[in-house]
Order: sequence, then structure tokens, then C-alpha cells
Amino acid sequence: MENFKKNIKDNFEDFYSQNTSSDVLNNFRKNSFSSLNSLGLPSLKDEDWRFTDLNDFYKSAFKHRIQDNKKFDSALIPESLNFSDVTFIYLYNGKLSHFDSIENVKIEDLESYISRLDSNEFEEIINGHSEKNKDFTFEMNSAFLKDGVYIEVEKNIKLKKPIVIINYYDSEASFVCHRNVINFQDLSEGQIVEYTFSDDDISFLSNKATCFLLGNSTNVEHLSVDESNKSSYILSNLKISQKKDSNFTTDTILIGGKLYRNNVHPVLNGEGSNSNILGLYLSKDSQHMDNYMFVEHIKPNCGSRQLYKGILKDTSKGVFHGRILVHNEAQKTDAKQTNRNLLLSEKAQVDTKPQLEIYADDVKCTHGATTGQIDNEALYYLRARGINLEDAKLIMIRSFTEELLEFISSNFILDLHKSFVEKWFLNSQLAKSE
Amino acid sequence: MLEIIDLHANIEDKEILKGLTLKINKGEVHSIMGPNGSGKSTLASILAGKEDYEITKGDILFNGESIMEMAPEERAQEGIFLAFQYPIEIPGVTNSYFLREALNSIRKSKGDKPLKPVEFVKIAKEKIKDLKMDESLLNRSLNEGFSGGEKKRNEILQMSILNPCMSILDETDSGLDIDALQIVANGVNANRGDDKSFLVITHYQRLLNYIVPDFVHVLVGGKIVKSGDKSLALELESKGYSWLEN
Ligand SMILES: Nc1ncnc2c1ncn2[C@@H]1O[C@H](COP(=O)(O)OP(=O)(O)O)[C@@H](O)[C@H]1O
Ligand SMILES: [Mg+2]
Repeated sequence: MENFKKNIKDNFEDFYSQNTSSDVLNNFRKNSFSSLNSLGLPSLKDEDWRFTDLNDFYKSAFKHRIQDNKKFDSALIPESLNFSDVTFIYLYNGKLSHFDSIENVKIEDLESYISRLDSNEFEEIINGHSEKNKDFTFEMNSAFLKDGVYIEVEKNIKLKKPIVIINYYDSEASFVCHRNVINFQDLSEGQIVEYTFSDDDISFLSNKATCFLLGNSTNVEHLSVDESNKSSYILSNLKISQKKDSNFTTDTILIGGKLYRNNVHPVLNGEGSNSNILGLYLSKDSQHMDNYMFVEHIKPNCGSRQLYKGILKDTSKGVFHGRILVHNEAQKTDAKQTNRNLLLSEKAQVDTKPQLEIYADDVKCTHGATTGQIDNEALYYLRARGINLEDAKLIMIRSFTEELLEFISSNFILDLHKSFVEKWFLNSQLAKSE
Repeated sequence: MLEIIDLHANIEDKEILKGLTLKINKGEVHSIMGPNGSGKSTLASILAGKEDYEITKGDILFNGESIMEMAPEERAQEGIFLAFQYPIEIPGVTNSYFLREALNSIRKSKGDKPLKPVEFVKIAKEKIKDLKMDESLLNRSLNEGFSGGEKKRNEILQMSILNPCMSILDETDSGLDIDALQIVANGVNANRGDDKSFLVITHYQRLLNYIVPDFVHVLVGGKIVKSGDKSLALELESKGYSWLEN
């Protein structure tokens, strides 16, 4: 643990001295690092990390690396993402490589954009996301803030084509920090897909963040899929700040990583806003996927619907920690949380924990969690109709994921969701598992 | 077609079937009647291949060969069909997807080409019309939220689409009103033929007015205690089962 601390400190000092930017950004980095320092590293004793043992992770040494301008090779894009009618943005080890330009949308390297901001603008675009509930993963991301893409969709604009952000980690990645900031101005609409994948034979640490700023009456759908290799450590943050009457749906599919920490933090700070927080964690071998939800209701009349499902195979482990915080002003909040897990082996394991903190009196807040195996009666019924055991199992597993689809309205995202899930089923030889 | 020979079966060390023998030839309709708990559903489940039972003695022959070692899906592929007393609800699997998978699995086992979704829907819609069911049932999750009667009709729909040669109906009549009963009976009768056999398990004689059996057997305490023709069903209706118990 001490070695790891020193490793991060050395990395930060190198980073800080080699990357001088605007005063605002310099200070932000420095403050974030000291905040990271004072937080200390989490251990099993921390309430928010009690199901995820980081000791192994702390033994690794990572070298933070600033990506030079390498061009992403489109030949690497997987078949399932081979579309012609989308707007592509390519990141290479987290750094903006190149992109298709579109009207009424600003797309720019994150650092280049935010280094022009004065302290008020910076506060709104960047700092607004990092108030309370400080977490070491996000503070670390802030300390190394530089790479990533800034996207701004102008007021009233409805994106005709989905934006697909592809991020690829190559064999030189060791410790990569990057952040995408996606800003939808009032009354705009669109679909954003983030797809992350990596070279096969490297172990690396990815600390990535995606921050949505959603203006009044915006309507946004988001899909995030991470297929990084199974030796990688992934610390991920998804933060959403929602203004009045905004509607947001995010769908996260976790496939990659040896250790995955998935922090999701929607903040409903405009009246009448609504958030659907969907997720599917698909784990096998000895993967560990820790989902930490923090849904914050600040203003009245907002709704949030969390539906997170896990399919766990082999000796993999999953965690679902669902925190809902309803502030005292947030009357008429309607918050619902559901976590369901399907264990495909005796040795797979899930820890699930709801955490409701409610300071308003007129709210509807429900939560529920289930963990089980494939229903034998249902399997028998399918088989009694002539369906082979393996196909019957697959039908049952597929049906388990079906509930999520009801919340996705974009056909583009729906089809992508299905194709990634089917690919995982196929690669995992699901039907053959115990 | 189906021959059950001196079948003894336990569940959790309790003997449920105690030496049951029954032979059903091609084209025959047999009925099994009996009081609650006599082992009717147990027999049906064992025929369909459910694995929860311990068979301590006896054999089941289908077209002359033992099916004791066959998995449920293999039996279904050979043409054995069980209409469940309590059909299972499976959320997230649509009725039409399920039926097409089932039909195509059976076709595949026979070396036939799988049906495309459009071809399948055409067949399914015809059968649905015959059973006076609502087409929307095809797009709903399998049995989920179906009324008791809808579930039973859905079993018959599955039967008429999968076109088995040996159908076992386990109390398909219970919970049906007289109209639904007639529809179900018509569905069954439409499937009757020289090469098709039926085993109709029922608690009441009522259904047998519509599906007229060639033979009626009385199952009491895990054994067939009496067999006869359709008049036996009427006798049971007026006398009950107690005169056969001892
Ligand atoms: N899963 C089970 N575990 C223990 N006993 C069972 C089980 N299923 C059925 N039985 C018992 O087996 C006997 C026969 O049941 P069943 O075949 O369902 O009768 P029927 O269909 O004629 O009403 C009953 O005494 C019932 O309690
Ligand atoms: Mg019964």
C-alpha cells in the first residue's frame, strides 16, 4: 500500500512538472492530488469498498504515460461497430486521435478546451462534478486531468446520427487517465456510445471518467461497453448532472477487466428530471466487478430507475452497492432500485447492498435484490418441448437480460446492446457451464 | 406405441407409483382418472422425462424401445408431448420465440430444415385461430400473466403446432369453463388420427363427453385398480372413487 502511494505520488510529480497548463487547470490538478492524498487509499474497512479487496492491485507498479499523437487505426474496430451512419470519435490510450466533424457540435481535445476556461466556466464544466462523496478513483482522475474529449451539442440540436467514441489501449498503456466531458445544451438530444477495448497481453491501469452535463429539457441515451482485456484494472466513473426536465438513460455493459470498479453518480439537480440507470455485468473466470451506484436527488419531482443485472460464471465475483440520497428539498422523488443476479456456477458470488438516505418526507423509494440460479422447472418445461438442454439454458440466460431492453428506446443502442451480449454468450460457451 | 410395465417410482424415498402397467396402441385414446394425490401427475412427469424421480422397478417402452435413459428433449423429439397441469411462466421469452425454437428443435432432430420466422408465424396464426385464442398471445412472455384458461389453451396450441404422436394431457380441463372446454376438446379431436395416441388425465368425467376415450383406467394409490370403457367414467362420476379404495 505504501509502495502504491509512492508510485502514484511519483507519477503525479512527473506529470505535474511536465504538463503546465492554465493556472486554473494547474491548481485543479494540484488540489485534486492533495485531496486524493488526504482521502488515503481505500481498504476493506471502508464502507464503500468492503467487498473489493485491493491488496493485490496495490502490489502493482504503474507508470503514468502521456500519449503522444498516435493515430488510431480504424482496422482495429470490431465488426459489431462497423457502421457508416454514425459520427466516430477515436481515442488512443485515452487521447483524442481523430474524429468525424459534424455541424452544431464542438468536438475538441479536453485539455485544449478546458485550458481556455476562466475559473467560473471551469467550475461549471469540470468542478461541478466533484463535490461531496469524494472517491479516490475520481480524485485521481482529476489530478491527472488532461486527455479525453470535450463534446458540446448546441442548444436545440437533435443529433441525427449517434456519436460513437472508440477508445483503444495499446501495448504501451500502463497507467492511463482520461475523461470525456459531454455537454448537451438546453433542448438538445442525442445518443452517445462509448466503446473501450485493448490489446490482449498487457496489464494496465485505466482510470477513466465520463461526465455528462445535461441542460434543461435535454434527452440523451448512452451506452458504455468495456471489453478491455482480463488482466487490466479499470477504475471508472460516470457522472451525470441533470437540469430541469432532462431525460437520461445510461446502459453500461461490463465485460472486460480483471478488477472493475464502476462508479455511477447521477445528480438530479433540476426539477422534473429523470434518469434510467441500467447495467449488465458479465463476469467469468476470476473477474471482479464492483458496481457502486450513488443516485443523488437534489430537486423535487425527479425520477430515477436503477436496474442492474449480473451474470456470473466460474469463480467470478460481483458487487452491487446501491446508494440513493434524497436531499431535503427533493420532495415527490420517485426512486427505484433493482439488482438481480444469475449465478452460473457454484463458486460465483455476489454481494449486494442497498443504502437509502432520505431527508425529504414525501418520497417514493423502493429497492430490491435477488440472486439465484437458472430455474430448473423452467428448464424442464423447455426441454419437454424438444429444446436441447444447452439451448434451453441459453434461452433462460438470455431471458434474464431481457428486462433491461424495455428501458432502451433507441434501436441503435438496443441492437448494439444485444450484439455485445450475444457475443459474450458465444465466447463464454455459456450453455456448457455448470 | 406406449407401454408402461410394472412401474415403481419414488420421490424423496416415498413410493408414489407402485407397479403401474398400461399399454396404449396407435390411434387409441386412453383416460386415467383418480383421486387427488393418486400419482397421476407423477406418471405424466415420468413419461415426459422429469429427473426428480427414482425409478426403482419397471420399464417404459415407446415404439418398442425403452425410453428410461432418454432426456426430456429426446422424448419430445420422438413425439411424446405433455400438456402440463401447471404450465410454467417464463418472463422474457416470448411465446412465439419459444414455440419456434421448440418446433425447429424437433424438426432438426428429424433432419428437416428449420422454419423461418415468417413461415412459423403463418402456421402459428392458423392454429391460434382454430383455438379461438388471441393473436397477441404470441408476442407475450411465455405464460406470464396468462389466466388459468389461457395457459391451458396455450398447452393445446403447443400440442397442435408440435404435432406429437403421443400426447399426455394432465388435467387440461381443470379450471376451464364449458366454452373453453369445448375449444380445448375440439383442438384435441382435430389432432386425433390413426397414428396418434392420447392419454387424457382428468379428475372429472365432463371432459370425456367431448374427448371420447376408448379405454378408461382408474388410478388409486399408485396402481391401476380398474379398467373399462367410457361407461366406467360415468360410473365413477356417480359413485366416486371410494368403492375402489381399500
Ligand atoms: N416434489 C414432491 N415431493 C414430495 N412429494 C411429492 C412431490 N410431488 C408429488 N408428491 C406426492 O406424490 C403424490 C402423488 O402426487 P401427484 O402425482 O401430483 O398426484 P395427482 O396428480 O394424482 O393429484 C402425492 O402424495 C404428493 O404429495
Ligand atoms: Mg396432478
